[in-house]
Amino acid sequence: MEETINERKANPVLKFFGSVKLAIVLLILLAVFSVAGTMIPQKEGAMEFIQGLNPATFNLLDFFGLFDLYHAGWFRLLIGLLALNLVVCSIERFPSAWRRVKARPSVDRSQPFENLPDTLVISTDSGYEEALRISQNLLKKRFRTLRSERKKDRVFFLAEKGSFSHLGVFLVHLSVLVILIGALAGSFFGFEGFVKIAEGETVDSIMPRSGNQSFSPGFEIRCDKFTVEFYDNGSPREYRSAVTFLVGGKEVEKRDILVNHPVTFNGITFYQSTYEKVAGRGLRIKLSKEGGKEDLKPIDAEIGQQIQLPGKEGFFQVLDIRHMGTAPAALVSVETGKGEPTRFWIFENFELIRSRLPEQMIKSPRFDPSAFKPYTFSLLGVQERYATGLQANQDPGVPIVWAGFILIVLGFIVTFFTSQQFVRVLVEKKNNKTVIMVTGSASRNRPALDRDLQRLVEDIRSLLAA
Amino acid sequence: MTSSGILSYLTFVYFLAFVFYLLMMVMGRQVPGRLATYTLLGSFATHTAAIILRWQESYAAGMGRAPFSNLYESLIFFAWTLSLLYLIVEWRTRNKSAGAFITPLIFLAMAYASFSPNISSKIMPLIPALKSNWLITHVITCFLGYAAFGLSFGFSLMYLFKGGDSGDRTASFLRLIPARGILEELNYQMVVIGFLMLTLGIITGSVWAHSAWGSYWSWDPKETWSLITWFVYAAVIHSRLVRGWKGKKIIILCIVGFACVLFTYFGVNYLAGLHSYATN
Ligand code: HEM
Repeated sequence: MEETINERKANPVLKFFGSVKLAIVLLILLAVFSVAGTMIPQKEGAMEFIQGLNPATFNLLDFFGLFDLYHAGWFRLLIGLLALNLVVCSIERFPSAWRRVKARPSVDRSQPFENLPDTLVISTDSGYEEALRISQNLLKKRFRTLRSERKKDRVFFLAEKGSFSHLGVFLVHLSVLVILIGALAGSFFGFEGFVKIAEGETVDSIMPRSGNQSFSPGFEIRCDKFTVEFYDNGSPREYRSAVTFLVGGKEVEKRDILVNHPVTFNGITFYQSTYEKVAGRGLRIKLSKEGGKEDLKPIDAEIGQQIQLPGKEGFFQVLDIRHMGTAPAALVSVETGKGEPTRFWIFENFELIRSRLPEQMIKSPRFDPSAFKPYTFSLLGVQERYATGLQANQDPGVPIVWAGFILIVLGFIVTFFTSQQFVRVLVEKKNNKTVIMVTGSASRNRPALDRDLQRLVEDIRSLLAA
Repeated sequence: MTSSGILSYLTFVYFLAFVFYLLMMVMGRQVPGRLATYTLLGSFATHTAAIILRWQESYAAGMGRAPFSNLYESLIFFAWTLSLLYLIVEWRTRNKSAGAFITPLIFLAMAYASFSPNISSKIMPLIPALKSNWLITHVITCFLGYAAFGLSFGFSLMYLFKGGDSGDRTASFLRLIPARGILEELNYQMVVIGFLMLTLGIITGSVWAHSAWGSYWSWDPKETWSLITWFVYAAVIHSRLVRGWKGKKIIILCIVGFACVLFTYFGVNYLAGLHSYATN
């Protein structure tokens, strides 16, 4: 199709915004700027790059949003222009396409039958009426519409199918808009967040990727277990988080989240994203008396478990276990029933840690393993457990985008693999003979039409012979 | 012999096919042309068998996965789709001249896969993110698209070689190349197939990304470059609609498009991104 906008009433503004030339320019511009976005480091990745720039260059690039190019206003404007271009162009062209869908060319035309190759002409001794019947039946079966016009000793048939093919392009263009709308809906009404949950823990808030105000999704998530499996060569085979969703403390659903197998609960979808090792709830502690001269048996304990001191001076319990830097540490609280409890942190590998800590910290009673006399506490080890990192997203645009994807594929199939076919057949009585001529036209894919015509001729021939 | 052994020998068979096509073009004789087609058919059949064998090898090694998941395998598959598509076109058009332009591409892909020190042909197990049926569809559709664009590139080169005067009789080389109008038509058909397949590839890729990372589009460089390629070929498709834009301008745009395909495929590995599987 050439650009044949109705010149008479073409408004220059509409003509500009509906032109294919603008579409080409916009597509090329989008391509060029997208290239720039892959060359200039973006967002988080830009930090190192920025440090090497002089301030003037930086300001210039920053002013044009080149460090977050794909979200810059002018880049969105380009996409918006493309959408506008599509809308205007489609509105302008739809009426003429619709006319082509509805068009009913005249049946009675001799001109297409002039100079047909022999392969499309049948000359037979069979009866005229029989030839008419056979041709009509075949055409009826193979085409959507069939019209005929009877003259003296000759009948014209005009069969047609595939008129919807003219609408394929509109479907393609519409689906581009649908995809853009879906993307827009996602950016307005969706969010990307993250939760980290240690095995056994329950979390009731999600941290958004942008911003630092966590929010409650209205339910809780507990990580029951995290497992990671490896291949023999050490590369990972599978990450799996077994989680339970709870509402108001009541278990509602138990699911496994794996990479490529996200789980959706109450509209929020959870994706397996990262994992790490964190301190568990159990630990092994050793007490010694008088600065280590008398070692006692190691004790296995859990957070919150009350344990009697060997000399029955009172109880101690572990309140918290965590990694400080990389070193496991436990907060011990010793309670005698008189006065405030004594609280202090103990570390695994204390000698090593001490050499790294600042002077005043070592002196502080909060880090003194011998804060409660006459005992010295040492941490032999903590149980480790996994914490799973889940991406938590909500994107109401996704179904719209998926619909656009399906539409665009359908649109391509209609545009490229279907065509409107007109097939004309003329059955004519000539002396004692009957002559049948077959010809046609197609909006696209002429070779397919030629094959169809040939098949029609052969089928008419064999039916006549039978 | 292992699949990768067979495939590295095949590299030379593809080169032989190229030599035959070239001889046909230079001598203007039918015999080398026939030899070329038979050689190509033979190596295509072996190639197919080798890919199936590789699939079995991965099962035998207890990994059981489709052979489309690292740079080596994707190059091998690219060469395979190129030969398949070219053979179909040769059969449909009954013209062998494009063979001289396409077989070198096949040879280069095979040679790069088999002999580049940076590319390992070892069958590696799949990391969790790559375990997805969407990934398999993604790779198949993308490479069918790339192959169609490869053929479009071949036709574009032929168009430029052919020059303005389609009646040139001086060299049999040029005489065997179809007229420019036919080349434009063939080129357009390849662009359409490629565009359709690339669209499907981008769609399946983003569905995959959505299930693996929670976001169907994240402007990762490889994604972005496939979109850039898509923009360029969309421009090609529309440029036919503008009066006076027939011919050379479109051909140049097709060559730019294929350059984008190559960059999407190889160049992007020098930029960081999610598709890091392609770097091993
Ligand atoms: C990225 C977005 C676009 C895509 C994927 C797209 C896709 C297509 C496809 C596949 C065709 C069919 C080509 C053929 O029949 O050979 C087409 C035709 C066309 N496109 Fe687009 N297009 C896009 C944007 C645009 C825009 C912005 C315009 C605005 C002017 C436009 C105007 C046209 C016109 C006028 C036709 C010809 C329709 C006909 O044959 O009657 N397209 N487009």
